[in-house]
Amino acid sequence: MPSHSSENTEELFIELFTQYERHIRAFVRSTGLDWAAVDDVVQTVSLVMWRKWDQFDPETEFMNWARVIARFEVLKFRRTMGRDRHVFHGDLMKLLADASEEGEEKVSSEQYLVCLQACLDQLPAKSRELIRASYQGDKSIKEVATDLGKSATALYKALDRIRTQLQGCIEGRLNAS
Amino acid sequence: MKLDLEQLHKLIQAHLDQRLSDQEYEMLQTCLEEDPDARASYVKLARLDSLLHDSSAAAEVDAVDFTPVSRKASGFKWWAMAAAAIAILLSLTVLLKTQSSSEYQGVPRQVAARGVAVITAEAEAVWEREQLTVGVALEPGRLVLRQGLAQIDFFGGASISLSGPAELELVNKDAAILRRGKLKADVPPAARGFEVRSSDVLLEDLGTSFGLSVGEDRKTDLIVFDGEVRATGKNGKPLLLFGGDSARLESGSAIPQSAGNVDGIPDISDVIAGSSNREELRYAAWKEASLERRRDPRLIAYYDFENLTAATRRLRNRGLHGDGSELDGGIVGARVAEGRWRNKTALDFRAEGDRVRFDIPGEWDALTLYAWVRIDALDRHLNSLFLTDYFDENEIHWQLSHSGHLHFAASPMGVVDIPKHNRRYLSEEFWDPSRSGQWLFLAVTAEKGVGKVKHYVNGEVLPIAGGTQRHKPLPAMRIGEADLGNWSDPIWENVIRTLNGRIDEFAIYGVALDAKEIAGIYEEGRL
Repeated sequence: MPSHSSENTEELFIELFTQYERHIRAFVRSTGLDWAAVDDVVQTVSLVMWRKWDQFDPETEFMNWARVIARFEVLKFRRTMGRDRHVFHGDLMKLLADASEEGEEKVSSEQYLVCLQACLDQLPAKSRELIRASYQGDKSIKEVATDLGKSATALYKALDRIRTQLQGCIEGRLNAS
Repeated sequence: MKLDLEQLHKLIQAHLDQRLSDQEYEMLQTCLEEDPDARASYVKLARLDSLLHDSSAAAEVDAVDFTPVSRKASGFKWWAMAAAAIAILLSLTVLLKTQSSSEYQGVPRQVAARGVAVITAEAEAVWEREQLTVGVALEPGRLVLRQGLAQIDFFGGASISLSGPAELELVNKDAAILRRGKLKADVPPAARGFEVRSSDVLLEDLGTSFGLSVGEDRKTDLIVFDGEVRATGKNGKPLLLFGGDSARLESGSAIPQSAGNVDGIPDISDVIAGSSNREELRYAAWKEASLERRRDPRLIAYYDFENLTAATRRLRNRGLHGDGSELDGGIVGARVAEGRWRNKTALDFRAEGDRVRFDIPGEWDALTLYAWVRIDALDRHLNSLFLTDYFDENEIHWQLSHSGHLHFAASPMGVVDIPKHNRRYLSEEFWDPSRSGQWLFLAVTAEKGVGKVKHYVNGEVLPIAGGTQRHKPLPAMRIGEADLGNWSDPIWENVIRTLNGRIDEFAIYGVALDAKEIAGIYEEGRL
């Protein structure tokens, strides 16, 4: 149980967790889980991290610690799932977690966000709006498509193109920096 | 299965959107299993997808805001609820107890200790491998002493003096093969059974000491000084020899001979006597350089750790310029011990309380720290060299990580939001347990600005291999109240960073010395 003398440690946990939650979720997501599963796993991860908070040394990487715990929880979660539709098997999830760790070791979370922001800024306004509507609105893709007078297929196609473009831009920036 | 990149990206994105057909799913899964590049693509696109998904929706059309906010579907609402539920969960512990705590400790670095012996003294020794010196742990394998004398202690407890030219093969902690040269073995009761082989005989020490000489012509002579030795030739017939006995070992059998035929067996006292001469010379040379060094006006403080006694509570600042005795250190707990040379004193840090306290006010645009350190073990996650109390704004931390990196850090925000602001510079790993007990010269130079931190070991630059926020400028640096070999007022109550080892020289400069100067200081102080 957390038992430090400093009064701010709970605050620090919440602060760090808030700051890195997106990245923990991204890590979990990269093992192929859908959003519902990501929510479940990350919730458990946060509880475990909180329980083990006194083992964390604040001068070390919060994300590294988070990933160790998240990886374990992902695999544990996978074991309880059985043969769900389109969920990768455990060994492949491990390999994806490896690949994700490797990628994130090279690029810090902060660096990545800076590049992502810059690349979003570079997008044509129309593409940017499409991303915003699809990812950050309350509507489903189908509803967004209807609003835009497109079919869902056409919207996905456009999204695929924009995401590939973003991915290329981010990689270019990361390599340059 | 190999898909082209465009196809692959489409499948990955469709999987992330959950709109794959079963057949496409099988295709993607196979491809990911087989192709590491495909997996790299998957995790990249998943990361992008996830961060787009989890970024703020509160933003205007044109500005996607990347400050964290509570999200609609998941996120902080549940976190708040979870926090409330924690107390209940923790008291039940049913769910969580199923996970053993060790599972989250990360994988501790297991350095297989391969050493079987250690060089403990030398006299005029010239090794074939230049890096061999006193304190170096020796792994199994061939060891060539071109000339001089050396004392080697086996981890099993036996000790030998070796006289060059000699070729010795270390087999394990209790056995060696003498190919050429002369040795004397001293075997305490605990190491009884220590074996030395020559090309055609096995010697098993049953008592205390014996000498063995193998000539160029493989002529092998044995002499037992004390106790009992069993010599077994290739013919399998053991011959027992006792104190004062000698034997010629020939064609697989041992033939008794007169002890007068064997001479030149080195004695440990010869090694010690010889090494003392060399030690005294090195020590004297360092002393001279040290007396010169203290005149350097660029020094903030200089501690030579000389003439310490058990009663010494004050570590004198020997720098002739600057604040003099105001910067003396207070010795807490740390014991006086032998330094790099027998007559040099050092401080031994081991217990949780051991430290030297300093108060060094000021702020500097550049700093150099160096210390002669004998690391016995890196027990802690982080192990102190020189840590300012707590970690206030712009204060420096110089330490060693468990896995053997040098670690230098300063943060303009102190502990506030550490991950975002702490400029950390990790060197490549340089230490593993095979270097345990060796005296090393560790240094760091740091300048305000971006990318101006350099780590050094034994006078050579150790490349930076990691860290955080290194693209941000390092601030002007402060020290204030600080510990050598420990950490006072840690950020966390239960974090211990006690150094396990010794220090016998420490200096702080208000400038960044260049590589040449660092190398020079190393040369003047090396063993």
